[in-house]
Amino acid sequence: MKVDFLLPRFMTNKRVPCESRNALCMSLQRIRDPLHNLIEFADVELERVLWRVIQTRPFQRLRRVRQLGFSDLVYPGASHSRFAHSLGVFHTARRLMDVVRSRQQGGSPTRENIALAAALVHDVGHGPFSHAFETVGKRLGLPMADHEHVSDMLIRSGEIAEILNDMGSGTAVDVADIVKKEGRKTVHNAVVSSQFDADRLDYMRRDRMMTGTQHGAIDFNWLVANLEVADVPTGVDDTQTGTVATFVIGPKAVHAAEVYVLGLFQLYPTVYFHKATRGAEKLFAELLVRVVTLVRTGHVAKTGLDARHPLIKFAENPDNLDVFLSLDDGVIWGSLSMMADAEDALLREFSVRLRDRQLYKCVDIRGRATHEFDPESKGAPEHLAKIDTCCARINARLTELLKDDRNEIPKILLDEAKRSPYNDAVGSKGPTERINVRTEGGALVDLKQRSRVVASLPDFTLFRAYHDRCDTESMHLINRTIDEEVAACR
Amino acid sequence: MSLSDTKKVAAIISDAGGKIVGRTKLQKVAYLLRVTGVEDEFSFSYKHYGPYSEDLANAARMGSLLGDLREIESPASWGGTYSTYIADQPTEATEGRKALAALAASADAVELELAATAVFLAREGYEHAWVETARRKPEKSDNGRIDRAKDLLRSLSKIPVPRPLPSIV
Repeated sequence: MKVDFLLPRFMTNKRVPCESRNALCMSLQRIRDPLHNLIEFADVELERVLWRVIQTRPFQRLRRVRQLGFSDLVYPGASHSRFAHSLGVFHTARRLMDVVRSRQQGGSPTRENIALAAALVHDVGHGPFSHAFETVGKRLGLPMADHEHVSDMLIRSGEIAEILNDMGSGTAVDVADIVKKEGRKTVHNAVVSSQFDADRLDYMRRDRMMTGTQHGAIDFNWLVANLEVADVPTGVDDTQTGTVATFVIGPKAVHAAEVYVLGLFQLYPTVYFHKATRGAEKLFAELLVRVVTLVRTGHVAKTGLDARHPLIKFAENPDNLDVFLSLDDGVIWGSLSMMADAEDALLREFSVRLRDRQLYKCVDIRGRATHEFDPESKGAPEHLAKIDTCCARINARLTELLKDDRNEIPKILLDEAKRSPYNDAVGSKGPTERINVRTEGGALVDLKQRSRVVASLPDFTLFRAYHDRCDTESMHLINRTIDEEVAACR
Repeated sequence: MSLSDTKKVAAIISDAGGKIVGRTKLQKVAYLLRVTGVEDEFSFSYKHYGPYSEDLANAARMGSLLGDLREIESPASWGGTYSTYIADQPTEATEGRKALAALAASADAVELELAATAVFLAREGYEHAWVETARRKPEKSDNGRIDRAKDLLRSLSKIPVPRPLPSIV
């Protein structure tokens, strides 16, 4: 597939010769995108400014951060970047903003511009292999591994902020606030964060296209054509705090919304939480934790990496934004062959495993528990409760056992994750955390009340263990623990 | 996630009087215990709903499955749902910890979120933590809630704990 990202195309009717980065004079810029075809930047203030944002070092770095991390180990086509995704989110946000404008009298151009800028830069703080990198950050207390934190820093100050503030002082702070879901909320926030935000509307379609998977398709145009704006209540725990304007769908798009939810429900097990992808992430996380630990304890030489390598610099200066910006997927892939000669056994083994795709073998513990307690997949609440409890007990037992593991290389790696077909709510669960349908009578109801298919969808939950496929001792330990806890839960 | 984490969540609930209403409130109670030095588990980071610990959320969920605590989900009048956490195991907590947990758990959820956020921001070095809190959460800060959140923090600050809360009220 030819993706012509590199060359901005000037219009053929050469108006005024000028530098492409000149804020005062810019011809139309066009980028060829595999999903949206042409993404254009017009000669208007906002788009001139955003074109300059795209040229900055932090944004260009996104070319070297893959959207789906290790997914290309499973889907070879899935090598698309966060750079392409970010442009696609901006493009989609413009479509959504048309919906906002059509539903609002007068409009709010400043607020619209802030939301569109936020759509473009929302992912600028992602580290290499984003989610695995964040896992390492949580384990080691590295604030720079939190992409929300880094995005916030990069948008609020530095070269992106300077360019954004050309639209008016304080613009960068307003953009950062909308990305971080802070400040006063207007319907424009829904373009950046909602059940129908531009991020999800781009990544679902882009990831589907680039992986080559044939499920997870959505009726994008019909969905957008049927988006409406309504005020929905917000709250904290049992207390209502007010209302917020957000996207809801009209009654004619119930089936399109159903497919939208189903699409995400299918992409999680097949793409985002694929066992091989997650297995690679587990190895990467262990590898990175070891590098940082060795550096912190003064053993740089054992890593196999030069002292000037960006990973070493990051381990030494985990709070340095400039050092963070030197990290990307390419840096990691390039380091693997060096770490293959490391003195440290874990780095030696796991770098070779990642480089040559010699991943640990996966044991689907939840799958086994499901087979034991719900062999006909009826999904009854009492069956699910047993499966959940059994998995929790197995998890707790294996975690305790692994605490005592004194092996230099971890023999068993555990993986647990859960995802709702709706956007996840980690705080209070309310109307903004579900898809609201406007009924013919004008009431707002949860899509689950209009769709039996959506109502019956459980959360996608995984609990897996990984081990060296030749390590029969670990395999037996996992199997024995499963068998014993299944028996205990009967 | 270890077994001890689930028991620590249960202990927090027990020390708060046996019941904490709301996921947000559980998070903020645990956060205040952590920063005052009467809880050593769970690390918190800042999210748009204030200080939050993913480990705590996971431990609460697992604790419910393992029987260390009970989580009851109920519909809220505003159209959402909220969780009530119940645990009643004897603990050997200090009086300070119990008093802090109980007072925080009995507070209004929004005011507690505001107070915990101001504490977090003050500890992060914000000179005007309340101003920043109100800027970040304008809707929640309306209707005198910031003033009541300050009153709450004033009351919490009077409880003797190993590490005092920041002097921002």
